[in-house]
Amino acid sequence: MRWFCAILLAAAQPALAANTLVAAHVPVAVARSPMTVTPDCEWNRMGARPGRRSESWTIDGDGLNEVTFYGGIEPDRTLFREVDKHSKPLPRFSRTMLLTDIPALFESSYRIALNTPVMTIETIASARFLGEKGVAFTYTYARVDEEVRRRGDGVAAIVDGRLFMITFDAPAIFFYDRDAPAYRAIIAKAAIAR
Amino acid sequence: MWPGQWRRAAAAVALLTGVAAHAEPIPSLPPYSGAYQPQGVDERGIWMEFDERERSFRDSTVVINDAPLKAYVMQVVCRTVGAARCQAVRPYIVRDTSLNASMAANGMMIVHTGLLLRARDEAELASILGHEFAHFELRHSLHGFRHDRTAGGIAAWASVAGAAAWAYGGRSAYDTVRVARSVQTSAIGSTYAHTRDQERQADLLSMAYLKASPYDPQRFPDIWDQLLDEKDATAHGRRQRSTRYDRAGFTDDHPSTIERTTTLRQLALAMNKPGEDGKERYDAALAPWRAAWLSDEIKRNDFAGTDFILRRMAGAQWSADLLFARGELYRARGHPRDLVAAAGFYREVIARDPTRAEAYRGLGLAQLRSRDAGGVAALRTYLTMKPAAQDAAMIATLIQ
Repeated sequence: MRWFCAILLAAAQPALAANTLVAAHVPVAVARSPMTVTPDCEWNRMGARPGRRSESWTIDGDGLNEVTFYGGIEPDRTLFREVDKHSKPLPRFSRTMLLTDIPALFESSYRIALNTPVMTIETIASARFLGEKGVAFTYTYARVDEEVRRRGDGVAAIVDGRLFMITFDAPAIFFYDRDAPAYRAIIAKAAIAR
Repeated sequence: MWPGQWRRAAAAVALLTGVAAHAEPIPSLPPYSGAYQPQGVDERGIWMEFDERERSFRDSTVVINDAPLKAYVMQVVCRTVGAARCQAVRPYIVRDTSLNASMAANGMMIVHTGLLLRARDEAELASILGHEFAHFELRHSLHGFRHDRTAGGIAAWASVAGAAAWAYGGRSAYDTVRVARSVQTSAIGSTYAHTRDQERQADLLSMAYLKASPYDPQRFPDIWDQLLDEKDATAHGRRQRSTRYDRAGFTDDHPSTIERTTTLRQLALAMNKPGEDGKERYDAALAPWRAAWLSDEIKRNDFAGTDFILRRMAGAQWSADLLFARGELYRARGHPRDLVAAAGFYREVIARDPTRAEAYRGLGLAQLRSRDAGGVAALRTYLTMKPAAQDAAMIATLIQ
């Protein structure tokens, strides 16, 4: 029994894993995927992952500036871990989705996961991402319980039937304008090993 | 048997036998004096808390500050509870897709857009707003607070008595602990039972408002029936077991929905009062908002529940905006059969309103996702009609 408890504790460790520093100008693989990025400044990799195939980075704290990497979401999978699968199931990615469906998937997932109706996709544009045809979008939202207006950017592409995406969230006041260039530097050098 | 059929059968039996419904008489309206001020330290404290909450809530991102919409909701409140009583109300329309409303002790009334979308007419909205106003008029926040404080004290002292008996031991220690636990359970249970009683009182007083109002009281149980049908549809769509509606659990703060529906139906039948439903006014007032609220509803990822709402709103006559919303709903789920159905809905919209550019967009995207080359033509039409659309560049890339 003690051994069983010890194994359980060990298995719980990744969820409690500490944040780690990501060095500038060094290529690094993200979200347990073949996607690599080369940031132009230091970031902190968050120990807690939003989902099985995703990870988050921040500079000052996840509520202030957060980049999230989605490293190959498989068909019929959600973007994030489902907190309430019974009464608030999240929408799932499908390999038949068009690029225009990705922002809609993202918006619906955010609305349900953050329990907010105040989420709008502001712009949608075509973009090259990971060497593929992709979609770039901007959005605004606010969580109901904190009233901070937030802005965000995202870029996504479907590679071999899997969804790769990088998003950036920050409060509209000060943090978005200050840190958006660091996010753009990340996506500019994002690559995928084939 | 489909879950809704079980429920309807149970409700019919209860209605015929009068088992579930206690059928208390509708109370006469209590005397009302305007400009009520809180009395005593408890009530002043509760009002102060709600005043503070209202100050921060007023500037919230979820509140829709549209003067005509607020004025319309206020008119419905006044028609329901009377011109004198409604002066105490300050309505706030909140973007929330759930069917709900609430009223705080200080007169702040919160109305969810999910309620405004689901209510079919003014009479259904009036019945819910009357229920919330009844909580306010009967000062349920204050009575609930006092009851919870007393019950909490009893539970805490019972806990102390049980712990002391356990510590000191003796022949009767075991019995004392058992009694203490029993008292604790009863005290905790009484807080929920008290809340359920308050809901029953609010239902009855709401019926009294409806009796004195121009509205048809039959619409009150109707909206509950709709809520249950929607829940059944959601459960069916998600392949889940439907909720039991015929009993209230230990921690339920509302009576069982079957009990409420049956009681309200009996009262409305006994009242036998004709009344208006105000549907034309209702539809006209909410028309500017319907598309946005339908869009919020579709993004809830509840395919069967939303489809039920759309079918109920449409009735026998599908309007262009409801057909468009249904197309968006089916396209969002995106099963192959959904895409074919969605394309059909968009085509019907275009047949009725050829100037609706978004219908061409939906049709084109549904067709492209089905690998139907016809989608290119529909998207070209969309771009021609809306060259400055925010997604124009993206759509142009798709059809290159």
